[in-house]
Amino acid sequence: MVSGWTLHLKQTGIWPVCLVLLLCIQAETVPGQAEKNEPQVLAPGWSELEFNPPEAGSYRLPPMGMAGDGQVLDSNGEPTSLHQLMGDNVIVLSFIYSSCSDANGCPLATHVLERLQNQLLQEPGGAQGIRFISLSFDPVQDTPEVMKRYGRPYIAEGFDWRFLTTSGPQALEPVLESYGQSIVRDPDAGDGAAGNISHVLRVFLIDKNLRIRNIFSASYLHADTMLNDIRTLQMEAAGGTVLQGAGDVKVGYESASYQTRAQSLESRRGTSADLQMYLSMPPLGLPAIPIPVDNPITSAKIQLGKQLFFDRRLSLNNTFSCAMCHVPEQGFSSNELATAVGIEGQTVRRNSPTIYNVAYLERLFLDGRESTLEQQIWGPLLAHNEMGNPSVGYVIDKISAIPGYREQFERVFEGRPNTMETVGMAIASYERMLVSANSPFDRWYYGDEEEALSEEQKNGFKLFNGKANCSACHHVTEEFALFTDNQLHNTGLGYQQSMSKSPAETRIQIAPGEHVVVRGNIVADASEPPPNDLGQYEITQDPDDRWKYRTPSLRNIALTAPYMHNGSLSSLEEVINFYNLGGIRNEQLDPLIRPLSLSDDETRALLAFLIALTGDNVDLLVADAFAVPVGNTGSD
Amino acid sequence: MSGFKSRSLFSKGIRFWTSLVLSSAVTFASSLLADETCMSPYMAKIVGQEDFVYVWTLGAEGVGDEQDKLVTVDVNPASSSYGKVVNTLSVGGRNEAHHSGFTDDRHYLWAGGLDTSKIFIFDVHTDPAKPTLHKTIDNFVKTSGGVVGPHTTYALPGRMMVTGLSNDKDHGGRTALVEYSNAGDYVSTHWMPTDEDLGGATKSGNFADGYGYDIRALPRRNVMITSSFTGWNNYMMNLGKLMGDAEAMKRFGNTVVVWDLHSRQPKKVLDVPGAPLEIRCAWGPHNNYCFTTTALTSKVWLIYEDSAGEWQARAVADIGDAAQIPLPVDISISADDSLLWIDTWNDGKARLFDISDPFAPVQVQETKIGAQVNMTSQSWDGKRLYFTSSLLANWDKIEAPEGEDLQYFKAYTWDGKKLNHEFSIDFVAENLGLPHQMRFGAYSLYGLSNPQVAHRELAAGSLTGSN
Repeated sequence: MVSGWTLHLKQTGIWPVCLVLLLCIQAETVPGQAEKNEPQVLAPGWSELEFNPPEAGSYRLPPMGMAGDGQVLDSNGEPTSLHQLMGDNVIVLSFIYSSCSDANGCPLATHVLERLQNQLLQEPGGAQGIRFISLSFDPVQDTPEVMKRYGRPYIAEGFDWRFLTTSGPQALEPVLESYGQSIVRDPDAGDGAAGNISHVLRVFLIDKNLRIRNIFSASYLHADTMLNDIRTLQMEAAGGTVLQGAGDVKVGYESASYQTRAQSLESRRGTSADLQMYLSMPPLGLPAIPIPVDNPITSAKIQLGKQLFFDRRLSLNNTFSCAMCHVPEQGFSSNELATAVGIEGQTVRRNSPTIYNVAYLERLFLDGRESTLEQQIWGPLLAHNEMGNPSVGYVIDKISAIPGYREQFERVFEGRPNTMETVGMAIASYERMLVSANSPFDRWYYGDEEEALSEEQKNGFKLFNGKANCSACHHVTEEFALFTDNQLHNTGLGYQQSMSKSPAETRIQIAPGEHVVVRGNIVADASEPPPNDLGQYEITQDPDDRWKYRTPSLRNIALTAPYMHNGSLSSLEEVINFYNLGGIRNEQLDPLIRPLSLSDDETRALLAFLIALTGDNVDLLVADAFAVPVGNTGSD
Repeated sequence: MSGFKSRSLFSKGIRFWTSLVLSSAVTFASSLLADETCMSPYMAKIVGQEDFVYVWTLGAEGVGDEQDKLVTVDVNPASSSYGKVVNTLSVGGRNEAHHSGFTDDRHYLWAGGLDTSKIFIFDVHTDPAKPTLHKTIDNFVKTSGGVVGPHTTYALPGRMMVTGLSNDKDHGGRTALVEYSNAGDYVSTHWMPTDEDLGGATKSGNFADGYGYDIRALPRRNVMITSSFTGWNNYMMNLGKLMGDAEAMKRFGNTVVVWDLHSRQPKKVLDVPGAPLEIRCAWGPHNNYCFTTTALTSKVWLIYEDSAGEWQARAVADIGDAAQIPLPVDISISADDSLLWIDTWNDGKARLFDISDPFAPVQVQETKIGAQVNMTSQSWDGKRLYFTSSLLANWDKIEAPEGEDLQYFKAYTWDGKKLNHEFSIDFVAENLGLPHQMRFGAYSLYGLSNPQVAHRELAAGSLTGSN
């Protein structure tokens, strides 16, 4: 067995040194790789790198799938999870055990990480935003106390390096499985305690979006290359497009001191993620994703649904995809419009609702008229003022005519072509996977992470459940929080829109910091009559249902402005103020809505709490969406 | 071989001098008064009587065949079909027909659709009275990398520069210039400068929004100027809905960009708040400036090169009362750089500004043209002006007050003091649609004579070089 790096070692003349070292080693690696008790060739990580590593930032590290989660114990014996220790930092994760003596196994990993740690600390970039995690393979012997003792000599001051273990083999197994770490215990070692554990050494580099970006094995692991990989990820995060909010930033536009912060469309690029992982592992704070028995999730189906979601050819004149109103970086809704604009500029009455967590909704559309996502998809496709397709058959034929789709449907649906049913199933499967939670609130409430929320935010949550009574409709349970009751309510906003007279004066913004006040509608002769909207009444014909609309979830609410069914409130402050005043009085006003007498401090606390409801995976979902090519007419 | 070469050089020399002579002729003509003045300086001009106006017309539901069409109107007073629609050419679908522009040889007219992003290329030289559809570019969005809404189709030597208005990601205002060869082959996409990617430009003020609209070139200064309007969401939606949507009203362009014409690189982003639309550059050999007007803030802006060689923007006049949202739209500069026509869409007026001092334009005249007025085109000698009514399908007025025309093509003559109405065509009554951009056609451009003119009055057409 002569690998590339052994040749290097021989050529550079450090071979005798290695031999000396090897005399002390009684270990084995994977069976077949090295015979027991025979001299071992040391991995390159023990010495200087034989080449100049590529410069940080000069290359890409494509994501290689999602980092797994699992329950672990920190070195104080406190339970936590791997994902709770990820997301805020670039992570270097290694699997070790304290009694491991294989020079090319655990000691190598720890040695390289220690060296990397020192390099990071000495570099101008520092060690900010970087965390090492070393997790034990051997929960029986490696108690939290043992791990603490093992790790102590390695951890430099000011560096974040966690030495973790698990409560037992049961907790460990799923973690090992998700990282592909199969282990073989030495048969002489008894019931798993002590003795040698054979494994393929793997160290994982994980980005802030919980994506694995590089995997190092014994022959590849080196502090110098890892250092540049970490810096590359940091440069990518610093230089990359901000993934949330309209790229055409208009924050502060009301003021004369407004400055643009426009993002480049060319940098609006992303990387695909494996959304299917949420099936087995929904983000903290959400229940399992409900999946219809007749539409099981597969990766290929999600992928197909994604393509269709971003395909503008799915409209009468090739200008509209689902994503033109559910814009990923705009909270999968539209931040730039109060109410949507459809094909040929036609007026849509309502604000584009977000697709985040749509899997959990029991009624779809703001008036609750549809029951399953598979069916709902056809609403916008066929609406004359949305995507404008004249018939189901037209859509099916059009999809058939686009090269590749028909074959893709047959592959995904085991021989079934694109039909009314399979089109709905594919798009629904993608939308269903857009689950988002593990927000600061979830980490605090469900993850017992005391510091995940500020005192003000915790106070806001108290008000949310108490004085402000938001939770009466925006439900939170002990196990999970959907932040909706899946019911429809009358807040008075719809009533106001239908029943009030047009204002005598309108204030119109004509440039940053510049407004004109015009009498009535200055463009009345160019205006269509505003369409009426009676809410759930239009579906039930029951006068008691006038102006009732579905309770939206509050998850990711900071990303989905403007608010309410008609987008009439532009900020969360305005929404809180609206409810603080008790909504708009009318006969069907929901009895739960009444003046709240919240003080300014209480309003601020409530707002702070709402902002803590943004899921930690929104960048991942948006980057995943950016990776999908927009479907347009014309050959490649 | 060498003989051929020298002959070729010789003939080039001849062409060069001819072009200079013709340029002088143009300069002379322009000192009388001026014209077709909105065209690319690279383009062949009609300096005499135009035979046709090609009106790029929006299809409208309930009107005729409901689809976009190129309508040819005979405007030669000596012609037997003067004042009549002599041809219509339907292209299929409603594409939000908007602007159009000729290739530099004036053989083809490129007409864009802001909604479907299709570009229709019409052959106007084979039979100027009866244009034909030569080619349709239907992969503009895909080929350009996501640019939506081809607006200005502007002639550069051997190629067309197309300004975009929007994009296929958010239907907002960030967009690009897209370059094509005259044959209709994609060449390149030049993204408008944004804060994140200024493309080497200097952000001189508060804004670098990445929006686009119109484009003009000043070749002798190696400068290209672009303006900024709004994205698909806004230009496609109903105007009343738009004015009532505070978020949407934040999405208008506030910038003019000065580009290096040769390298196509943005050099400087200037703050021009309130949606600067049409750009008209001066023709005079020492007049290093262009005008634009802002639709929302209702001002005339001068984009000029200062004595230090720096390009600047300055608001130089108000257009009506901004609080009444007059909405200045198309503008047209006289060939001697002394007058600027400005249409204000909302009050239906054509306003004439004296711009002999470009830093202090003064309104000297106004004429009510209809319930709404959008485009205006004048002949090179400034004696004939044509107006059309339509702005955007969903911004247009639905009703007109008694006695005011709603959707029309109108021909006027200008006697130096007032506009005299010559004829009108009601585009709805004629079942045509909503008339928008006008471009002139003439037999003389192609060495042909007008068969409809009994006593041939040779229209003085000429092919000029760049000015």
